[in-house]
Amino acid sequence: MKPSSSINDEELVAELQRHMDADRFGILYDRYSAKVFQKCLGMTRDRDLAKDLTHDIFLKTFVNLTKFDHRSRFGTWLYSITYNYCLDSLRKSQRQRSQDLDERAEEGLTDDDAYEAELLALKAERIDEVLARIDPPDRALLLMKYQDDLSVKEIMEVLSLGESAVKMRIMRARERAMQAYYALYPEER
Amino acid sequence: MSENPFKIIRPTDQPPENLRKEVMGSVKFVLLLMRFLQLFMADYANVLFENVRVIGEDGERKDGQELR
Repeated sequence: MKPSSSINDEELVAELQRHMDADRFGILYDRYSAKVFQKCLGMTRDRDLAKDLTHDIFLKTFVNLTKFDHRSRFGTWLYSITYNYCLDSLRKSQRQRSQDLDERAEEGLTDDDAYEAELLALKAERIDEVLARIDPPDRALLLMKYQDDLSVKEIMEVLSLGESAVKMRIMRARERAMQAYYALYPEER
Repeated sequence: MSENPFKIIRPTDQPPENLRKEVMGSVKFVLLLMRFLQLFMADYANVLFENVRVIGEDGERKDGQELR
């Protein structure tokens, strides 16, 4: 019997957890492949790499399907795998830059939105250039926050970080994005 | 108010046609591998005792039979 494509994701995953089956997994692929591919493309800005990452992400998802505990939606879980896998791959392919000062700066954290209005007022093509220049972790955060409208709580889940660490990283990412912008367009300063 | 520029640059590309075939091929291979492992693990003790013999330093089997 052919599996029905009308059942929801969670039911489908529950069935797959009982009995691994390529046809059923194909339904999940059809539902999410465009989203995953577009996320990978947004993060990597490279079509071939995005294709390879999408392949690996679906394979990783299949292998780890039994670990999905149904506490979140399947889409959120897949989203988390996608972001983290893309970030890991980009980090590996890049020389590690000196890492975050986040933990040091966590205390006395304020919700500093100084750069937010400036960032959102930029022209789309300029944002595109800025995103190409900043580090993948900063790019990922800004895409999560401003493109996918994820809340701080959701970003905390995706990145397995605390609230203050997420807020600090978003703030730093905004800062670095604006620095990259002013380096590209010094006349705008 | 101007539109959020992050939304404007959101990629809308569809994944390549052949990607589905590649992913499903890999999934089927993993499935095959998992089934094979399951089969081996289910009969693990039997496979182990069929293929492994414990021998001493002098090349003699522990059960007393000499090796050729």
